[in-house]
Amino acid sequence: MKNIIKFISIILLTVFISCKKDTKDPEPVPEPMPVTPTSGTLKIEFEHMFDTVEFNLGQNYKTANGDTVKANMLKYYISNIVLTKNDNTTYADPNGYHLLDVSDPASTILDIPNIPIGSYKSLSFILGVDSASNCSGAQTGALDPAKGMFWNWSTGYIMFKLEGTSPQSGSSTKTLTYHAGGFGGANKVQRNFNFNFATTTSNITGNNSPYIHLSVDVNEFFKNPATINVATQYFLMSAGATAKMYADNYADMINFEHVHN
Amino acid sequence: MCKPANIFFLFGVLIFASCKVDPKIIEPLPVSGLVEVVPEGWPLPKYTFSVNTLSEEKFALGRALFYEPMLSADNSVSCGSCHQQFAAFANADHAVSHGINDLVGTRNSPGIFNLAWHPYFMHDGGINHIEVQPLGPITNTLEMGADINPVIVKLQASSRYRDLFKKAYGSDTVNTQKMFRAMAQFMGLMYSYNSKYDYYKRQENNETLSDAELRGYNLFISKCSSCHTEPLFSDFAFRNNGLPVNVFVKDSGRAHITGLPGDRYKFKTPSLRNIAKTAPYMHDGRFTTLQQCLDHYTKGVTNLTNLDPLLQNNGLQLSANDKQDIIAFLQTLTDYKFLGDKRFSDPNF
Repeated sequence: MKNIIKFISIILLTVFISCKKDTKDPEPVPEPMPVTPTSGTLKIEFEHMFDTVEFNLGQNYKTANGDTVKANMLKYYISNIVLTKNDNTTYADPNGYHLLDVSDPASTILDIPNIPIGSYKSLSFILGVDSASNCSGAQTGALDPAKGMFWNWSTGYIMFKLEGTSPQSGSSTKTLTYHAGGFGGANKVQRNFNFNFATTTSNITGNNSPYIHLSVDVNEFFKNPATINVATQYFLMSAGATAKMYADNYADMINFEHVHN
Repeated sequence: MCKPANIFFLFGVLIFASCKVDPKIIEPLPVSGLVEVVPEGWPLPKYTFSVNTLSEEKFALGRALFYEPMLSADNSVSCGSCHQQFAAFANADHAVSHGINDLVGTRNSPGIFNLAWHPYFMHDGGINHIEVQPLGPITNTLEMGADINPVIVKLQASSRYRDLFKKAYGSDTVNTQKMFRAMAQFMGLMYSYNSKYDYYKRQENNETLSDAELRGYNLFISKCSSCHTEPLFSDFAFRNNGLPVNVFVKDSGRAHITGLPGDRYKFKTPSLRNIAKTAPYMHDGRFTTLQQCLDHYTKGVTNLTNLDPLLQNNGLQLSANDKQDIIAFLQTLTDYKFLGDKRFSDPNF
């Protein structure tokens, strides 16, 4: 250990001296300490699928009902991410709210920084925005109403937004418009996800680049328990029983795939 | 669902206590030193400025934004277009709001005052927070018809607004939160509590009510105040007051928000403060005089779905003289200090 300190000190000193030009009084070089990391960053990757094939905007897929659907927008909130260690202590993501937008691949990989090192056995989060943040006035960041995920006439976040087209759509423009919102009581459309990593833990060492790979099956929006028939079910833009029906469908759309350490 | 913040209880109590000792605090707010006020005998407000710290500069920004036509799609309509100070920030002579491109809305523009006590906003209560309320009219296609992002771009491009944002927040970057919190300061500080009625209740200025006003007040207490509850003159409940449904608009009111059949044709009880100045009346502005409003309650109540239980049995029983007395009382609810308070006027004039 001491040798490493010496070695680094010498290198830094050399660098410092060689950079020095007119400085008359070189400050003493701060003693560099080898730091044992106490935390690390975890990536959570959401890979979008339609059944077993890769999901992309602008491509046709066949729903459980046999309808051909093509999405041009898919956005949803993931919030309240909590990681649980083997010893049952937990770490909550301080960033709180993430807006995933399939048209922006970078937004589908979440960086969770400053996680204390250790072995983690499970992950939980909410699809949607918790009730409190729906009642707290003007928010910023992912919750900025300018993101287009906010109802202006009946306050609340659109938790899940899927738009596209289908030749079978009952709308005169053959469009599909699904904006699911409703944050409290019977109208809640937030859904909780909780994944145990089974045999492999997610190890945060501070020196690795671990990630958790999740898959999101978009077809689950169109089925189970309610099989969606786009001839009649092509429009959703308010909270209530219909939004809740769709939420019950997407409640199992995200699955745990594997952990990389 | 939403728990009102109550952490400012102590603050409120302090203000309240100081109101009692020092009558000066209930004078119109000084131009400098904006403060929250809880008038004597009032409940604590729902909205405090705990997160949205008050400052002259934010208030000035909010005031500029309130009167800013750039908030509309074609730069023609501001909040102040339909919320005029001389009408207690209602829209004089307009049954319903008049938006961009001469479009006509579906509801009457309500007065703006004492918003800090409102648990929710709009006639249907659809908006749950003062800070996000402006999004409603700004984006309503029949009112200001804008998308919020182009509005931000326009404000960002304006050197006047970059300056105002910088003064208010230390940075000239415009965003919705800064914008709406500044507007919440401007609108949230519109306190109206200095009407003749208020002076009478507080026993200030040796204020007295005339015999007719007193008779009207007593009638008001027995006939009206279960919904138009003092001191805010609203219980903020949603009620169907028996107006025949306008078949062209078919406004379902609260049910538009909740989707519940039991809420059909219910609207939020409006405050009656400044009522003599906020004509036309009702959610769709169908009545132009207070006399017509009272006539509705005695002769016009229609027993449709969800008629309020308090208006069953043919509405209210009031004689012609009773109505005159009630109207005399309602006139005492006008707060002329508020109507003339320069801090709330259009800064461009």
